[in-house]
Amino acid sequence: MDSTNLILCAVAAACLDICAMVLIISAYHERKTGGKRWNRITSFMELADYNTVYPLGCDEILIGRHASADIRLADLSVSRYHAILTVSDGIWTITDMGSTSGIFVNGIPVSQAQLRENDIIKLGNRQLIFRRRRDINVR
Amino acid sequence: MSGNTGSYISSCVFVLIAHIGMLLNVFFNGNYDSLTQVIILSGAVVILDVAYFIAMLFFRQTTFTVDFLLILVLNMSVIFQSCFGEVVFDYKHYITCIISLVTCRCGYLLCRNHKWLREQRKFFYIGIFILMVVILTLTGSRGMWISLGPITIQPSEFIKPLFILACATSITEQQKKHKILCFNVVYENIALFGLTAAICLLQWWCRDLGSLPTFVAIYAAGFLLRICYPKAKFSKKKLVGAGAVLAAVAVAGMKFAPAYVQDRLHVDIWADKDGNGYQQSQALIAIANGGWFGKGPGQGDLHNVFAHKNDIVFASISEEWGLLYALMMVLAILIIIALPLINPPRSYFHGTMSAGISAAFTVQMALNIFGSCNLIPFTGVTIPFISTGGSSLMISGFMAGMLVACQSPTMRSPHLNEQIPKRQLYPRRRKA
Repeated sequence: MDSTNLILCAVAAACLDICAMVLIISAYHERKTGGKRWNRITSFMELADYNTVYPLGCDEILIGRHASADIRLADLSVSRYHAILTVSDGIWTITDMGSTSGIFVNGIPVSQAQLRENDIIKLGNRQLIFRRRRDINVR
Repeated sequence: MSGNTGSYISSCVFVLIAHIGMLLNVFFNGNYDSLTQVIILSGAVVILDVAYFIAMLFFRQTTFTVDFLLILVLNMSVIFQSCFGEVVFDYKHYITCIISLVTCRCGYLLCRNHKWLREQRKFFYIGIFILMVVILTLTGSRGMWISLGPITIQPSEFIKPLFILACATSITEQQKKHKILCFNVVYENIALFGLTAAICLLQWWCRDLGSLPTFVAIYAAGFLLRICYPKAKFSKKKLVGAGAVLAAVAVAGMKFAPAYVQDRLHVDIWADKDGNGYQQSQALIAIANGGWFGKGPGQGDLHNVFAHKNDIVFASISEEWGLLYALMMVLAILIIIALPLINPPRSYFHGTMSAGISAAFTVQMALNIFGSCNLIPFTGVTIPFISTGGSSLMISGFMAGMLVACQSPTMRSPHLNEQIPKRQLYPRRRKA
């Protein structure tokens, strides 16, 4: 193989390499767009208690005391698998998973309920507020 | 297209540049009798690129990277396949690549709404059952192909996406436990285990042992994700038990494997260069001859060996384009598989589906490449998107479409009219 052919092979390989790199960069770029779209799907909502904010990053979020729960509430009054939050068409629904102490939304006992902004959810002794996402510096 | 216009255009440009770089190499370095073949090949590749870039604009997707990688790899395979031995445009492979792109779109449209898919799960089981009956009745105990005049179909390939969907739909059923005697069981898990066992036995029966590890890998990916799913409650003892059973089955399988499998397991390819070790020895020689930068498109000698376009395609590419280029081709496919890590799926269903597809592609590539290099026994498994084969390319395209669906899902309820009226509360039944 002469030097011209070697250069051609190297150029072809370099083109493929750069293309792969550009596609990886655009994948990272698309990640941001995907995040924004997800925020629209979830109506920019989040769960929060006194000092912790729980982002809602998946369409099925399990709340409970167990370590495998997506939102872990380390409190004995909360069941291991207490409730599940699901989203569809921008509407969040909370469903009881057969917990001992039940779920209260704004003080009313429910087995399933659609959530609205600023609803207070009580699971055992823990209270969570379902609110619109805030700036990280706002309390 | 939703946003990212700049990155869309730059991706189009760089995919075109990558293909033009390859075509320039074919033009200056290739072995061809008439320039017409090179012009036809170049025109076909560029037209397919541009047509797909335009077609993608009609789909409302959040991410397009999988599509760009797919068209990059498929057109690379068109160039590779048209150059083995001599530069002659491989129109048959080109058509199957177009079909693969169409099935990719179908896969995306069918799999983007996981809530709808979950309701259709009985059809996946029925589909797999029908395909198994087709294999049992039409392929025979020693074959895996159905011949329909000029084309042949490998029905076991069609089971793969259905099996992945069955694994993915089972993930959200983990909370529905039923008590049988003193055991808490999930019916879906038992059904899936039975289905896996039936598929494995069928593959064994029709001597398609190359596809068997792919199905096992898909099941294993689904099994591992079921462990991670909340409330699945898998104990360490059960995990160790499952591992032990798998190891025992693997050992028993090797011990009681048919004679031709035993030969392949224990063959010394250099001592049996003209027998069982022929393809592997020739493949290794070809890789060594190619070196880092290859002999040049169409200058290789491996095209004289049987299955140079599918079973030992990695060696054929290494010989003509060089080991460096062949490894970069593998890297491009690995990026397709790894994209869910960059843009993670937003549901357990799509997470499991991505894991199943990634497992299937990884195992297929590993079996082909390591088999060619004599690191594992040689199998007739194809490299996704690169090897020839209509069934394989169609299903690989469909599975790529499923990956696109995982990246751009639709989070809508299939029954909009049956939505719970807003703000309706359901009183909780109190225990007596």
